Amino acid sequence: MAAYAHPEVLVETDWVKENLGKPNIKLIEIDVDTKAYDAGHIPGAVGFNWQTQLQDQVRRDIISKEAFEKLLSDAGVSPDDTVVLYGDNNNWFAAYGFWLFKMYGHRDVRLMNGGRVKWLNEPDKQLVTDRPAIKPTQYRAPAIHDEYRARLPEVMEASGGGRMNLVDVRSPDEFTGKIIAPPGLNETAQRAGHIPGARSVPWSTAVNADGTFKSADDLRSIYLNQAGVDPNKDTIAYCRIGERSSHTWFVLKYLVGLNNVKNYDGSWTEYGNLIGAAIER
Amino acid sequence: MNHQMRVYESCFELLPSEANPSPMVRINRPSPSPEFTLYAKLEWMNPFGSVKDRAAWAMLRDLEERGEVSPTRGIVEPTSGNTGISLAAMARARGYHMRAVVPNRVPLEKKVLLKIVGAELDVVNDELCPAPGVGDGSINLAKTHAKAQRDRYVMPNQYENQMNIRAHETTTGPEIWRQTEGRITHLFVSLGTCGTVTGASRFLRGKKPGVKVIAVQPTEGHDVPGLRNVRQLEATKLFDPSLIDEILEVDYELAYTRALDLCRTEGMLAGPSSGLILEGARRIIERDRAGFGVMVFPDNVFKYVSNMIKHIPDLAAGTQA
Repeated sequence: MAAYAHPEVLVETDWVKENLGKPNIKLIEIDVDTKAYDAGHIPGAVGFNWQTQLQDQVRRDIISKEAFEKLLSDAGVSPDDTVVLYGDNNNWFAAYGFWLFKMYGHRDVRLMNGGRVKWLNEPDKQLVTDRPAIKPTQYRAPAIHDEYRARLPEVMEASGGGRMNLVDVRSPDEFTGKIIAPPGLNETAQRAGHIPGARSVPWSTAVNADGTFKSADDLRSIYLNQAGVDPNKDTIAYCRIGERSSHTWFVLKYLVGLNNVKNYDGSWTEYGNLIGAAIER
Repeated sequence: MNHQMRVYESCFELLPSEANPSPMVRINRPSPSPEFTLYAKLEWMNPFGSVKDRAAWAMLRDLEERGEVSPTRGIVEPTSGNTGISLAAMARARGYHMRAVVPNRVPLEKKVLLKIVGAELDVVNDELCPAPGVGDGSINLAKTHAKAQRDRYVMPNQYENQMNIRAHETTTGPEIWRQTEGRITHLFVSLGTCGTVTGASRFLRGKKPGVKVIAVQPTEGHDVPGLRNVRQLEATKLFDPSLIDEILEVDYELAYTRALDLCRTEGMLAGPSSGLILEGARRIIERDRAGFGVMVFPDNVFKYVSNMIKHIPDLAAGTQA
């Protein structure tokens, strides 16, 4: 059985339990359901709200470098710390946080395999409601890795030329244009369908029922053999607003080990609103 | 308690039992075969309004007997409404706090009812994106409360609690056996936690191994609160396929149109899950032609006015001056 390409970016729940309270290991919970952290979290974990803390509140953008530095300073994180992210929905938004940490060059960031559901269902794991005492730091982002992010011109080129893999990670109904967005979500587009040339691999295909990631062999089979992602080409993953696709970005880059993978965070809410852009259904 | 005179000292004395069964009423009009007798067991006649009175009472009594619940340690439970309403009303009447964690798509009527009977409400957006094992945010949030605040909450967990099965094994099953005088040949139920089907089937098959147990489930992507499609059943630990003869999948829109039929032709004010069961029963009757069937109708239509309008928009026509 093959190993993940970069196993160091994943930690198991037992590892987290054994390392609770270590000063250089920082736990951060990022959920879709922003109520979940308050209801109970891993002892010592800080909670980030993806809606208000990870996105610029005026422009449509990720938070600025300065805002990221302030967020991490207030959370008591130093650039040399090992940051372990976890969250609900199989680490959906934790993966978005992971992408953001990598964009701003944090060296050692990891995901807790299985996310909060796995921790919740293990009898020996504790949850608390107390917020941890934090000693603020003066965090400075070590670097900016814009190469992990795909912008529209690159996506247009990828769509037309066949030089890159485009992976649409939304649900099948969004891919085929039956719906524009999952029910009840506000961020949407004028048109339904997918970017021409994209291959459909819903993000959740990469996870097991217990929330953990599938094995390296399974993931290679899903993406390379079944979906036809060419490992010799660069790859762009997209979804609706860029959060589910950061999950697939994580899988393709760190678990499957593709060379150049980007997350298109403009995603369908950008592309599906363009005048005159080609759409497939 | 006097069932004959129907005079009671508290609401709890109204709870169903072999001595005080929920009523069974014959379906007269829409019968595809005259040789098939079909009855509906009207669970909304239970004191707190649904079939869930049975599981809620059994789970609450068990918690009381084990000293798990007290005026300072209340209950937290994931619910699509009915279990929560029964549990909250019972818990509050006995002096306990109740926190209900509810999927967002539960109809407004049920959410407000939960508040009316004194539950604290957590609403969870459960269906953001289909994924294995994660579509149950309400179960996970309730588990989180119970785990993080053990001193404040205990979670009965209707999806795993054996008392849910036991309730139906000791009440629903024996009631049906007595009410049909052993003539039952077919039992029709829906699937949610699977407490009803597992408990009633266990009892009835123990009495008469040939009883056919038919579960009716809505098609995937359904909008029938309280029910689960077979692919959603991994959330419950009470599903025992060996106690079910057949699982029928019925287009969930028929739940609403058949409920309307029941209201308009039988005078039976049944909710959508009952409509779904009726449709399943009709299909079996067309095939089997003869028998004596009992359908367990979980609740009535009052809690589903907004859902009925959503699925049968014509119902809203002419309601404004």
